[in-house]
Amino acid sequence: MTASLLVQSAIIGLSIGSIYILMALGLTLMFGMMHIINFAHGAVYMLGAFVIYYVYFQWGAPYFAAFLAAMLLLGIFGYLVERGIYRPIGGGIEPTLVALLALSTFLEAAGYPVFGQLDKHVPQVFEGTRNILGVMISVERLMIIPIAAALVVGLYLFIAKTKIGAAMRAIEQDKEAAALQGVNVHVINGLAFAIGFALAAASGALIAPIFKLDPMMGDQPLLKAFIIIILGGLGSIPGAILGGLMLGLIDSTVATALGAEPAFLLSFVFIILLLLFRPAGLFGHAPP
Amino acid sequence: MRRRKIALLVVAAIGVLLALLLPQIGGDYYVYIFALVFTNVILASSLRPSLTCGQLNIGHSGFMSIGAYTSALLAKNLGFPFEISLLSGALLATVVGLAIGYPALRLRGVYFAMVTVAFVEVIRLIAQIWVPLTRGMSGLSGIPKPSLLGMTLTTKAEQYYLVLFLMLVILLVLWRLESSRLGLIWKSIGMADNLAQSLGVDIAKHKLVAFALGCFFAGVAGAFYAHFVRFLFPPEFGFLMATNILVYNFVGGRGHFAGPIVGAIFLSLLSEPFRGSAYETIFFSLSMLLTILFLPGGLITLPSKLGGLRWWRTAPAPAPRPVG
Repeated sequence: MTASLLVQSAIIGLSIGSIYILMALGLTLMFGMMHIINFAHGAVYMLGAFVIYYVYFQWGAPYFAAFLAAMLLLGIFGYLVERGIYRPIGGGIEPTLVALLALSTFLEAAGYPVFGQLDKHVPQVFEGTRNILGVMISVERLMIIPIAAALVVGLYLFIAKTKIGAAMRAIEQDKEAAALQGVNVHVINGLAFAIGFALAAASGALIAPIFKLDPMMGDQPLLKAFIIIILGGLGSIPGAILGGLMLGLIDSTVATALGAEPAFLLSFVFIILLLLFRPAGLFGHAPP
Repeated sequence: MRRRKIALLVVAAIGVLLALLLPQIGGDYYVYIFALVFTNVILASSLRPSLTCGQLNIGHSGFMSIGAYTSALLAKNLGFPFEISLLSGALLATVVGLAIGYPALRLRGVYFAMVTVAFVEVIRLIAQIWVPLTRGMSGLSGIPKPSLLGMTLTTKAEQYYLVLFLMLVILLVLWRLESSRLGLIWKSIGMADNLAQSLGVDIAKHKLVAFALGCFFAGVAGAFYAHFVRFLFPPEFGFLMATNILVYNFVGGRGHFAGPIVGAIFLSLLSEPFRGSAYETIFFSLSMLLTILFLPGGLITLPSKLGGLRWWRTAPAPAPRPVG
């Protein structure tokens, strides 16, 4: 592998890693507060990409308007899922997981009759290529990095500085105590659903101009996000960011050398080994 | 309680009788469909021990896939007799189950669920990539028909009786285990593993046994499926089938041994008109969501719920009024 190939896969790894991070952040936020894994995250990613397809490509709205529309629409959907599925089940982890799994398979299967059987393509948003350290990288892939970074910083500031963010941290520490202090746990959980769904929609919206669109497109990123949050430790936000960067880099270098499927197999073997020797993940606390 | 048990035995006996008579009553189509339904019953029931221990296994079809491919390849390439290839498939599924289960079962709940989801994808990818062995996405065909003691079971009706026999034996084994001391231990782990551990139960060992048992029977189901349908295609054993096996358990009901049996029969038959299309998945996922939201105990609690409502009789007796 030559140096330029290495630089290229590092940059592509960084941009794919940014997508993974956005996926993993929502998952880990929701896990930290409610101890559930959102199996529908991949389906929401897919829906985010399809919002771009319709709003940006078919209806001709500006890309950033379509991007915000994807986040907003699926954020509202996330709140409704908390209202209609998570809350009525009443906190049982196993039924919640199974219900979210069913929601995911429903959205994916319904995608075929609704969006059509054929793969969809979204035309380029950012044209051209840039020369970085002697390697040509398409601007499309480069732009993912600053947008994702802005969202990550925004999420960090929201959780660290705002009152709702403080309420989220309180629920993460102790739900009952937070409720006793006057935190409306249901509404804050609903907002966590909304944020998680909006972030997943954002990653789907960022990837839409690069990959082809089909209803099952969310499965692979969902599995990657699982691997990342196991790697980083469930519930840990820094863990999700570092894990996402690591997996993105491993993915693109190994995938360049061996192909995408062996790369996935390798990351899975890595996870099994990690679980054997360090079940809490690289950066996480002990499993609850 | 005793009356309920007798009623249940009567229902089971009538069911078995009907199943025995089916090839005489119905045509080849029904024989084919019910053989697949019975395979689903084996899959659903074999997941139950693990679920009872509180382990959400979303990768059961991966073990079915191992059993199917192993048995098919041994019989096709090396000419193994069916009995031995089926057993080898089931054993390999168990060995892989132990290898995955040993690290993964020390984890609780969501960690375990995520590992099993990734596992089923890995098995699918291996079957897809290892083209020289599995034929990858062209699918594996030319699998020999099942045989017993050297005699090939040529007709679908004969193969139907084979799977009926396999299912009844497996259900009997699982039922005996569940009503034994081991079943109680599984239940105690599922309800409160900390408490069970403090009472001296080796929870890791018992979870592993329950999990491996399920893998073995999933391997058996896979092996039969391979020799019955005689065509294997990697994506068939993906995430969707794993979810369906889970759906049988939840829709049928978690609280009783009959739950997964009822769920598998009911859902496989109802989804038959749109098998293989996107509507099958839509049907499964909607019945799952509706069951969890509105009938958390599953279909098996429906009779007692309806009995409690008594909507077909007169209005319930008015509440006694305070006198005076």
